[in-house]
Amino acid sequence: MDEEYDIIVLGTGLTECVLSGLMSVGGRKVLHMDRNKYYGGESASLTPLDEVYKLYKMGDKAPEHLGRGRDWNVDLIPKFIMARGKLVKLLIHTGVTRYLEFKSIEGSYVYKGQKDAIYKVPSDEKEALSTSLMGIFEKRRFRNLVVFIHGFDKNDPRTWKELDPQKTTTKEMFEKFGVDANTQDIAGHALALYRNEDYKNASMVEFIERVKLYFESLTFFRDSKSPYLYPLYGLGELPQGFARLSAIYGGTYMLDKEGCNIVYDDDGKVIGVESGGEVAKCKQVICDPSYAADKTKKTGQVIRALCILNHPVANTKDALSTQIIIPQNQVNRRHDIYVSVVSYTHQIASKGFYLAICSTTVETDNPEKELEPAIRLLGSIEQKFITIKDMYEPVENSEKSGVFISKSYDATSHFETTCDDVLDIYAKVMGEPFDFKKDERLEQQQQQDEM
Amino acid sequence: MSQEYCLVASGLQYDTLNNNYRQKNGRRLTMATGAPTYKIILCGEYGVGKSSLFRRFMNDTFSMEKGKKSTIGLDQASQSFQVGGEEVKLTLWDTGGMERMSFIGQSYYRGANAALLCYSINNKETFSILSQYILDIVMNAEGAKIFLCGNFADCEAEDRVNDADIENFTRECGNVLSGSYQVSCKDGTSVKDMFADMARVLHRENAKKMTLRKDLVIQPGVTPEDDDIHKKKCCTSS
Ligand SMILES: Nc1nc2c(ncn2[C@@H]2O[C@H](COP(=O)(O)OP(=O)(O)O)[C@@H](O)[C@H]2O)c(=O)[nH]1
Ligand SMILES: [Mg+2]
Repeated sequence: MDEEYDIIVLGTGLTECVLSGLMSVGGRKVLHMDRNKYYGGESASLTPLDEVYKLYKMGDKAPEHLGRGRDWNVDLIPKFIMARGKLVKLLIHTGVTRYLEFKSIEGSYVYKGQKDAIYKVPSDEKEALSTSLMGIFEKRRFRNLVVFIHGFDKNDPRTWKELDPQKTTTKEMFEKFGVDANTQDIAGHALALYRNEDYKNASMVEFIERVKLYFESLTFFRDSKSPYLYPLYGLGELPQGFARLSAIYGGTYMLDKEGCNIVYDDDGKVIGVESGGEVAKCKQVICDPSYAADKTKKTGQVIRALCILNHPVANTKDALSTQIIIPQNQVNRRHDIYVSVVSYTHQIASKGFYLAICSTTVETDNPEKELEPAIRLLGSIEQKFITIKDMYEPVENSEKSGVFISKSYDATSHFETTCDDVLDIYAKVMGEPFDFKKDERLEQQQQQDEM
Repeated sequence: MSQEYCLVASGLQYDTLNNNYRQKNGRRLTMATGAPTYKIILCGEYGVGKSSLFRRFMNDTFSMEKGKKSTIGLDQASQSFQVGGEEVKLTLWDTGGMERMSFIGQSYYRGANAALLCYSINNKETFSILSQYILDIVMNAEGAKIFLCGNFADCEAEDRVNDADIENFTRECGNVLSGSYQVSCKDGTSVKDMFADMARVLHRENAKKMTLRKDLVIQPGVTPEDDDIHKKKCCTSS
C-alpha cells in the first residue's frame, strides 16, 4: 500500500472501471480499490439468487421453484447498450469486446395511453406506414418526418427542407411536418430517447442525431428488431471487462478494502487514500459519489422494481428480451417510465424465467404508485424487489481538490449518459479529450515506418 | 465513423461482437479456419509462473521479469495443434495479475473448456491451496476440464511437492483431474508436450460428446455448416 500512484480509483462501478482501464492504457500508474469484495458496485450482477434475497432483507434463501441459484445474474440497474452508441465505441476501441458476448434485444415497444396498450416502435419508413400506432393520415406525416431525418445532413442545405439547422427548434420542426402530440411523443421519447420535454425547445440537430443513432443502431445487426445489445451473464460483465483491461496494462486491484478514505493536505488537495491505517499516495482520485459524500449533492431519486416473471410480457410476440417505454405525457407525468426485460437466454435467470426491471425518476412521495402503469403491463409476478435510490452528482469545482467524482446511474435505459460522464471525467483528469482515433493513427504510422 | 467492424453470428440466434473481425487496412481479419477452439484459463497463486507459461505458449520465450511487466497488454493467445490429423486450436488466457491482491472475478471463467491449475513444485503452500481454486472453477466454469501443472521443475528444493502429495490430492478431488504435468518454464522442459496433450484430451472429449449428440444438428463453432452461417450473417457498415 505504501507505494505512490498517479491515480487511485475508488469503487468498481462501470464508470470507474472504464476510466481505470483508459488511464492504465494511457500509461498512468493506477491503484483501483473497492470496499466490496466483488467487482461492479451498483453495476454488478448479483449471483447466486440468494444474494438478491439477502440484499433486500427477504431471508437467506431464494425459493426453490426459481431453479438453480447459480444460473441467476441479477442486474440492479436496468440498462441496454445502444449498438452504435459510445459504449460500443469504447468497447471496440479498447478491445474489451473480446471478453464479452452480446445478444441483441428482440423488441422495442412504446405505450399509448389512449388505447392502454403497447405498440412496436416503427423501425423504418415501411414500418412507419404500417404501424397501428397512428391513424392513416398521421402515418404519412410521420413517415415524411422519418424520411427527412434519414436524409438530413447538417453540411448539405439541400437536405434541410428550408429549416435552418442553426435556428430551428425541434418543436418548430414538428410543426413543419404537422405531426400530432402522440407522434411527437413517439419520436421524442421512443426514438430520440429523451426523458422529458426540454428537448422541444432545443435545436433540431440534436434531436435528429439522436434519432439517427437509434436507426443506425437498429441496422447494426442484419435482423435486429431493436437498437440494443445486452451482454450474456448480465451487465456486471462490463465493469469486469474494463477492470481486466486496466490490470493487463499494469493497474493494481484491491477489493474488500475497509475505509477507503480520501486524505487531503491543508490546502484541500488530495494526497492519498487511507485504508486499514495505511495511506497509499497519489496525485488524483477518481471515485463514485459514495466515496466522497462531502463533495456531492443530491439531485433526485430513482425508483426501480425488479420483477421475476415466469412468462414473457404480453403483446411482445413472446420476446425473450424487450424494452418498453412509457412516455411521460401518456400517463401524465414529467419523466418517462422504462421497462427492460431480459431472460434465461442471456444467462441471467434459470430456465424459463424472465427479469423485468421497471424504473423512473421519482416525482411524488408515493414512488411505488408511480410505477404502476409499468407493473400492470407485466402480468403475474413471481417476486418483486423495490429500490429507491438517491442520485448524486459532484458539487461545482470539486475537482479542484484533485478528486473527480462520477454521477450516480440515472433512470435512462441505456449507457449514453454514463459514457458522457466517463468522457467528461477523462478530459478533466488527462487535460485533453479522449481521442477515439488515436490508436488507428498510431497503427498507420507504425505500418508506414515498417515500409 | 471510419472504423468498420463486422458482427458475426456465433450460433443460430447468437450475435457476437468480436474484435477479431475488425476491419484493418481494408482487409478483414477472419478466423483462418473453422478449427475447433478450446478456451483454457490459467489459475493458481501469484508467482507460480502462470504468465511464464503464457509466454512460453505464445512465443516460446522466458523472462525473469516479475509480475506485470512481462505480459503487458496481453492476456490471450492462440496456437494450433494437430490431433489425429485434425487441426485444433487452443486459446490460453492469463489472469492479468489480478490475483496478486484481489480476486479475478467471474467473467474470467465464462465459457472455459479447461482450467490449468498451476503451482510451484518448490512451494507446498501454492499446492495445498489448490482445492480452493477447484471450487471456483467448478462454480464459475461449469463443465471445464481441470489439469494440474507443477512448475519450477528446474529448481532443487528440500520440501518439494512429491508424487504422493499429488496422488492424495487427485483422490481428494474425486478424480476431477484430466491430467497432471510437471514443467519448467525456465528451460522449457515439457511445456510444449503439456499443451499438445491438453489439446488431445480436450478434442477427444469433445468428439465423444459430438457423437453422442449427432442427432442434434447445431454445433456452434464446430461444424462446417456453422461457418456458412458466419459468412451469411457477417455484415459491415460504416
Ligand atoms: N527458475 C524458474 N523460474 C521461473 C519458472 N517459471 C517462472 N519463473 C519465474 O518466477 C517468477 C514469477 O513468474 P510469473 O510467470 O510472473 O508468475 P505468475 O504470477 O503466476 O504469473 C518470474 O520471475 C519468473 O521468471 C521456472 O520454471 N523456473
Ligand atoms: Mg502473472
